Amino acid sequence: MEEIALRKEVQDWLELVGTADILVGIPSFNNARTIGHVVRAVQAGLAKYFPDCKAVLVNSDGGSADGTRDVVENAAIDDFYQILIPQRVPSFFKTATLYRGVPGKGSAFRTIFEIAEALQVKACAVVDSDLRSITPEWIELLLKPVYEGGFDYVAPQYKRHKYDGTITNSIIYPLTRALYGRSVRQPIGGDFGFSGRLASHYLSKDVWESDVARFGIDIWMTTTALAGNFRVCQAFLGAKIHDAKDPGADLSAMLYQVVSATFDLMETYYESWSNITGTTQIPTFGFEYAVGLEPVAVNLERMMERFSLGVHELLDIWRTFLPQETIDFLCEASQRKGDDFRFPDEVWVETIYHFALAQHNRTLGKEHLLKSLTPLYIGKVASFVMEMRDSSSEEVEERLDRLCREFEKQKPLLLEKWA
Amino acid sequence: MEFLQRLFIDPFNRFLDNLLLFLPNFLTALVIFLVGLLIGALLKSFFARLFRVVGLDGLCERAGMDQMLCKSGIRDPLSLLLAKIIGGVTVAVFAVIAVQTISVPAVERLLERFFLYLPNVFVALIILIVGYLLSNFLSRAALIASVNAGVRLSGLVGRFVRYVILIMSVTMALEHLGIGSETVIIAFTIIFSGVVLAFALAFGLGGRDAARDYLDRKLKGSVKDDADEITHL
Repeated sequence: MEEIALRKEVQDWLELVGTADILVGIPSFNNARTIGHVVRAVQAGLAKYFPDCKAVLVNSDGGSADGTRDVVENAAIDDFYQILIPQRVPSFFKTATLYRGVPGKGSAFRTIFEIAEALQVKACAVVDSDLRSITPEWIELLLKPVYEGGFDYVAPQYKRHKYDGTITNSIIYPLTRALYGRSVRQPIGGDFGFSGRLASHYLSKDVWESDVARFGIDIWMTTTALAGNFRVCQAFLGAKIHDAKDPGADLSAMLYQVVSATFDLMETYYESWSNITGTTQIPTFGFEYAVGLEPVAVNLERMMERFSLGVHELLDIWRTFLPQETIDFLCEASQRKGDDFRFPDEVWVETIYHFALAQHNRTLGKEHLLKSLTPLYIGKVASFVMEMRDSSSEEVEERLDRLCREFEKQKPLLLEKWA
Repeated sequence: MEFLQRLFIDPFNRFLDNLLLFLPNFLTALVIFLVGLLIGALLKSFFARLFRVVGLDGLCERAGMDQMLCKSGIRDPLSLLLAKIIGGVTVAVFAVIAVQTISVPAVERLLERFFLYLPNVFVALIILIVGYLLSNFLSRAALIASVNAGVRLSGLVGRFVRYVILIMSVTMALEHLGIGSETVIIAFTIIFSGVVLAFALAFGLGGRDAARDYLDRKLKGSVKDDADEITHL
């Protein structure tokens, strides 16, 4: 695979550092407001939990115009004593660099992987730059299973609001679980730990011009680790509170990139997932506790409108690959108003599997196909919100577990049609 | 006897002479045409393989054109379709040469005029095909994008895009064929300007409040959008 040459100043910096034990990467784009806190949390985490390790922090930036890189350069903990860390300065290096390649989170990660490989680090972690709830403990939880436990990949587990992470909850988590047989609760969480060996494995793949270079990177990392039989675990990090996403990144583009990356991986790893039945739990580290979460406003009326509009206008497109009974259901459901509306799991799973089959059979151009999924996804989210309005987080998890089992139940039908 | 000679035998002899003169030309033309058929078939096979090797079908698929072809009732992959066109054109060229070999002046003149005009027909046909494919592709893209943006008149947006592209391609094709070129362009300009003006008036007068709200939002950001706070990822 062609390697993107790192910038001259990074190469000089790498020569200065030589090798390292641990690397923490932070991808960013215009995150000056929050990245200072993230850098300080990382520094404190490294000082507290890895005092004897040589550690580096890499900020891989997409050309921020708000001084993000300056914030990273200047952010530091002034008084370790205040946060109950012995005044001992561990070997800690820091750099902020512009990444090269297709603009997106995936390209930022690629630069981090390249630096990790160059420094021959043992354990790496990546954390989002817009986090407000990150604590030094996140660094321990993401790195220790790799550094001391022999794991290759640590996926995050969070306490999130029941309406948050809806692409994860309704598509990516249940689909990944059904396909690869391991219950990774947040496969696209955004904050991961991984071994240097796995970073080199990632770099060996030629995916950096695809959707993996953008929003698809998270599911790609998780799936590659699962399908490659790397040792995978997850760590409970607490609440995930972060700044609102880039308002320019619209839902259909996000959905398209994440789902198309997931479906593409089904092609790549068919041999891996086709023989798997059932689900096994993966080891989970960390002390689970309840957290107070910020309320999430949902405009159900508008969601229903979007769903009905989609059914009205896009039915002809869906007719080319969805079964007739699904089409009949959609027509009938789009007439329903208020709390009567439900999008049953059986129909939803059938819909997702037929979208995957349509991409596999190239029934329609990929972008048109997956962007046309948006109104159906909004319908499923609306149904979920109505159903779970008064439910506790435990009840929501049970409900999601039912959805996962439906994905597993219908997997033989997917396999039959896939072949 | 002389009468019979003049009435039947002489004309018959002349016919025989002409036939003997014509037959070699006809046989030559037939051979040329058969050679054309053979070369056409060979070229079709060669180009079909070449296009497949260079990955034209994959490119077409990635651009979403395979679906457009499918929707247009064309089941062949693009590589085979282009190879068939090349083969067909080759056969047509040999057919012309064959007809010219027969040396019939009236046919020659007709053919000359026809074949001088033929490239225009060919280009116009390509314009129409590309226009049709493009109208399908872009109208679907516009439809999906406007549905996802929550535009209630999404169907209208999709149809508008389709018909604008179709009308434009027909106009271009007719202009290329030299059929009432100025009339077509003027008619197109009038219709298109009329549609734009109608939209402008409808938006500015009929939907004055909506226009004001929209401009307020765009220019001042003063209207608060009651957006969902769901984090999808």
